[in-house]
Amino acid sequence: MNIYVRLVYRNLRANLDRISLFFELVFPLFFIFVQGFALSELVTPFDIGNGRVISYQLFLAAGAITLTVINSGTNAGTQLWYDRKNGMFEQLLMGPFTRLQYILSIILATLIIGIASSLLVFLIALPVLGGALYLSLQSVFLTGLALFLGTMFFGSFALALSVALKSSESFNIVSTFTFFIFLFTSSVFYPANKAPPVIQSVSLLNPLTYATDLLRAGLFDSMTPFISTELTLLTVETIVIFTIAVLAFRRIRV
Amino acid sequence: MASGSFAVNVKDLSKRFGDKVAVDSVSFEVKRSEVFGFLGPNGAGKTTTIKMLTTLLPPTSGQAKILGLDLRSEGKKIRQRIGVVQQQDSFDQGLNVETSMNLYGLIWDVPKQERRRRIDELIERFEMQEFRKKQVVDLSGGQRRRLQVAREFIHDMDLLFLDEPTVGLDPLARRAFLDFFKEKVKDGLTIFFTTHIIEEAEYLCDRIAVMNEGRIVEIDTPGNLKRRFGSAKAVEFRLLEGASKNLVKALSSSEVVNKLVLDELSGTYRATTSKPELVIPELYRLADKLSLHISSIYIAETTLEDAFISLVKNGSGNDSSHVHSGESYAAASPPRGSFKEAE
Repeated sequence: MNIYVRLVYRNLRANLDRISLFFELVFPLFFIFVQGFALSELVTPFDIGNGRVISYQLFLAAGAITLTVINSGTNAGTQLWYDRKNGMFEQLLMGPFTRLQYILSIILATLIIGIASSLLVFLIALPVLGGALYLSLQSVFLTGLALFLGTMFFGSFALALSVALKSSESFNIVSTFTFFIFLFTSSVFYPANKAPPVIQSVSLLNPLTYATDLLRAGLFDSMTPFISTELTLLTVETIVIFTIAVLAFRRIRV
Repeated sequence: MASGSFAVNVKDLSKRFGDKVAVDSVSFEVKRSEVFGFLGPNGAGKTTTIKMLTTLLPPTSGQAKILGLDLRSEGKKIRQRIGVVQQQDSFDQGLNVETSMNLYGLIWDVPKQERRRRIDELIERFEMQEFRKKQVVDLSGGQRRRLQVAREFIHDMDLLFLDEPTVGLDPLARRAFLDFFKEKVKDGLTIFFTTHIIEEAEYLCDRIAVMNEGRIVEIDTPGNLKRRFGSAKAVEFRLLEGASKNLVKALSSSEVVNKLVLDELSGTYRATTSKPELVIPELYRLADKLSLHISSIYIAETTLEDAFISLVKNGSGNDSSHVHSGESYAAASPPRGSFKEAE
């Protein structure tokens, strides 16, 4: 059996906390069905690009799907912390793999969790998304790419964080705080291009903005001239953070 | 012997952490199908050495070949042929014992049927039947340790590193593991073994390296270490009458007694000697002459622990005659009581 299949299977079996996974799913659904529902009465439908006018609930539903990307990213760091806490990290590094294979197996397991969670949220949110959905080869490709790159970015980010921090408690606090910043300076909850200039500038550095914009463009056909630039920037940011995570991991002190 | 005949061949291996030298230019070889013991006090550098030899830590300097493979450039090939039982716990949480073993076999790519067979065999051999379905997090320390050691035998290997593998095990489980290791060595496995339990090292190891402050102080067979660095034998005895200055005076002047001390707490005399077979008749002769009665007497054998303590406290180059004399005696002997020079 392929080495990655073995390691990914092991990561999924050994390090997944079912209760955490459940709440990671509940979290975005809460935004869609409670916050989105409540605020759609207050916020008038608006144009998200390409002449597509949608309700706030739909706007938030797409954002909430990308939220699963952040949650899954946290999972990557948690997997590593479980292994470190339980002594399996060193045990595996003395096993018949390379460090790169081990870190990639965590990223791959994270991708599986991320994409599966997003699909599940998407399916549950279908009654809300309903007829507004735009389905084409391009939309599926864009949506898939947004989820893939987003999970890769946040998975790598969480891994780099968990390597840098010295305890699982610090990891939990710091990752919650930083992901909070990512979340509220992105276009998950509001159109970032309509925010005050300072927040707009920050959102332009934020990979979650790009992942969310790409996903919305895919789901609602709201293609703007900036989508290809956003895709390029998200790809570059993902490659950079992934490289940092791998380098940090290779230098990890055992 | 050609380097290919060695399972481990280490030359001037060192590891520094900043200014601290954890392992200082150690050199040694481990023959194939040998049990090589690594003894040393806490912080001696044993675990750091193991971490280097298992490719977990890069050495600062020096060279090593593991199973004929270069430590620096052939790490993955080495890891494919070794097994490691770490000093610290290692387990997958959220799994039961059987699943945990199965998953470990899977990541080592052991075929499913073979995994099943080995798991059943190991579970039976190490008496883990009653907790085979129990969650690993719910196991006692000893049970978890049993799982950790047994689990390593799911996969094939040529060289096994055991870093204090029996910590937390009861004496029966400990002996079962040691005997199992011996069987595996007969089948061709090489074992690199560290422990704090001297009796274990003596029972299992063909050769022992004593390490202290990052350096290897001595390497030899357990028998030779005892002979070269163990304290002399001692005749320990008690008198019905308690202390006797006349006996002490007479025995101290005897040529066959190196030193005579008294444990005031227990009232036991300890006569250090290299010839206990001469001391005993002499003792009875003197007791008879002085109308004293010996209530108990026995010969205390030299132990590997004596040799170990002597080596760690005094370093190598101190032969046994040095250990026998004067102040070295206390250092060379295990703490059995408060012995004081008899007057």
